Amino acid sequence: MEQLIEQLKAQIIEALNFEDMTPADIDTDAPLFGEGLGLDSIDALELIMLMDREYGIKLADPKAGKAIFQSVRTMAEYIQANRTK
Amino acid sequence: MRIAVTGIGAVSAIGITCAQTLQSLLDEWSGIGKMYALSSNHTELPVGEVPYSDAELKDLLGIDEPMPRTALLGIMAAREALRTAGMPIVNSQEPIAFISGTTVGGMDLTEQHWADYQEGKAIEHIRMHEAGETTRIIAEHLSPFTFHLSPFIATPSTACSSALNAIMLGANLLRTGQAKTVIAGGAESLSKFHLNGFNTLMILDHEACRPFDADRAGLNLGEGAGYLVLEREEDALARGAKILAYIGGYANTCDAYHQTASSADGEGAYRAMKGALEMAHLNPADIDYVNAHGTATPNNDLSESAALLRLFGNHMPAVSSTKAFTGHTTSASGGLEAAICVLAMQHAFVPANLRWSKTAEGLITPVCHTEHKPLRHVLCNAFGFGGNESALILSTEAIELSEAPMTQWFNEPIHVEMVNDEMVNAFVSPAEARRMTPQMRRIVAAAKKAMQESGVEQPDAIVCATQWGCMLQSMRFLQDMIASDEQQLKPTPFIQSTHNTVASLIAILTGNHGYNATYSQGKQSMACALTDIRTQMALGMIRSALVLEFDEQVETWDQVLSLIGDRTENIARASIYIYRKSGLYQIVESQKSQDKSLYVLRFNPEHPIFAGHFPGQPIVPGACLVQIAEDLLSDMLGHAVRFNSVTNLKFRQAITPDKEVLMTITESKCTIEDNVSHVMYAQFAATYMCPDSDL
Repeated sequence: MEQLIEQLKAQIIEALNFEDMTPADIDTDAPLFGEGLGLDSIDALELIMLMDREYGIKLADPKAGKAIFQSVRTMAEYIQANRTK
Repeated sequence: MRIAVTGIGAVSAIGITCAQTLQSLLDEWSGIGKMYALSSNHTELPVGEVPYSDAELKDLLGIDEPMPRTALLGIMAAREALRTAGMPIVNSQEPIAFISGTTVGGMDLTEQHWADYQEGKAIEHIRMHEAGETTRIIAEHLSPFTFHLSPFIATPSTACSSALNAIMLGANLLRTGQAKTVIAGGAESLSKFHLNGFNTLMILDHEACRPFDADRAGLNLGEGAGYLVLEREEDALARGAKILAYIGGYANTCDAYHQTASSADGEGAYRAMKGALEMAHLNPADIDYVNAHGTATPNNDLSESAALLRLFGNHMPAVSSTKAFTGHTTSASGGLEAAICVLAMQHAFVPANLRWSKTAEGLITPVCHTEHKPLRHVLCNAFGFGGNESALILSTEAIELSEAPMTQWFNEPIHVEMVNDEMVNAFVSPAEARRMTPQMRRIVAAAKKAMQESGVEQPDAIVCATQWGCMLQSMRFLQDMIASDEQQLKPTPFIQSTHNTVASLIAILTGNHGYNATYSQGKQSMACALTDIRTQMALGMIRSALVLEFDEQVETWDQVLSLIGDRTENIARASIYIYRKSGLYQIVESQKSQDKSLYVLRFNPEHPIFAGHFPGQPIVPGACLVQIAEDLLSDMLGHAVRFNSVTNLKFRQAITPDKEVLMTITESKCTIEDNVSHVMYAQFAATYMCPDSDL
């Protein structure tokens, strides 16, 4: 799990163009949207695409992302449980 | 003055003529269905396609040369507009303007021939990638006869509000006497590029769309074209034309909220609709029908409902979205739906909002079935990416609009160009810069610096001129789409591929709700942008403007362009233009007698006067000076002074037949650069015979 979290953080930084950030800068349990990284609806789409591309998870309804993307940890847990690759 | 609509043309999934369109609307026949002409892998997505292949459209039009599908749809609709206006052949001696919005332009050809270009083949299509080229091609084919017009052409490219912005510029050209006939609207074909792009945003319904329904699940993309022929009422009556409707009012504002999402309270949409009502001197209660933007995405319909509820309260007029018939025709939608509004007024009915069944909190309730009733004033909405919100009022009753001669008083614009990385860091925070390409960061920094240097923190308008648009993100998305065979594409490059990304980005970052537009017209893009702001300044609609020039060099695209001996100019330049008469001249001599006054003015050589020139028209510096003299005298005297007619016009002297005003220009200089003539002069004397004794 910890390995997945670290890998996911690196993928988030790359997908969302956080140029000057390292995985250590992201708090695993901090909210991704609103506070924390301050992500928006475009980022949510990028994260959905990331899960599709890297882990073979397809989300048909963007609203379903809300619960999954609460924090890096919730996202990693969802990926662990649903990944197809 | 009054602006009459004397012709309409409409092409979409529900008909390639206005007659077919009308019949489909009355029959409640939707054009949403399976793909026919577009060859995309995403056949699961329903579309509102014009049911003819490119070859079939060419047959119908009698055209055999290569051109983008957008141009074919545009030619078809523009010809119908001229035909219904009773102008199968337009008199080319009179100033005519063809203004056509598009964003896709020739993207369909670029995606079809991308592999060919890599092998140096099919290069005749390369130039057609540019949005403005599509407009130029349509303009060349406005008449099916071998007849060449040389109209003023412009291509507003503000994504889904482009066509309404075209109509606004057209009306402004008429109000300032710069055009006698205007054909304005927009055209847009389907492309794999934007079908895939909207798909990455997860806002495409896999069924036929349901605008304003509680269970709506997104939009269907459509294609088409729509144009209005506009002329002054007296010109229309003089030639015996039938007047179909009048332009009542219009406004364009920026939501300044987000690149793709509309604000929850619909601030931009509210401001646009309210602005249109104010211009028309109408109350909300006067509106009989609203043709809503109503894309059927969860976000748009909720935000637009909020704006409609704010404006109309408990007295909601009939509202429907005709996108349930046509799909979302993106840049063409404003032109197509304005034409539909004219049909609705002419035939006294409210088009149905198909497939609506259930309401939810915060949503307006649309008209589900055709309602037959007379319509006097109709409001038409078109909203685009970046929160570019436009609203137009069309009326069966004549509405008086203000007019003004074209005279401009810019003080010397403040330019900021191609800033270095240090300046970027000073003006753009890392959070703001995250999604921007390096060139976007430079233009944002340049714009902020220009605003700071000029002291104009909130310009009334932000207008961008760009030949190729945001090419780095466009090329990323295009190449990913081709390489991946339309799978697993990232949304950000698509969102930032539209031409109006830069102008809207700056509005969002600075909270600017003012006028927002982008023009793509080859090397004439800047001339179009300046024509727009000069015209609005003459009409008193704006007093200051931020003008952006943006193009970004991308290696892959430059390799393609090199096949036709061209390259992209890398440019990021921001300028602030301020309309100001005072401070430009001083009165060096003033003699007043009982019946006349003499003023001798000297212009500040530090502040040359920029008088513009209407692209495509002969340059008449003398006429510009006369206009300036008229305006100056009006300004000094506090009431309008117009020469009855100017005969014997030479550089040195202009005398009206009744000797009312004598003007001598003692020094003048004219330089021509990029089709904008900069007229500069140092001194002129004017003798004014006062009609009133209070002088």
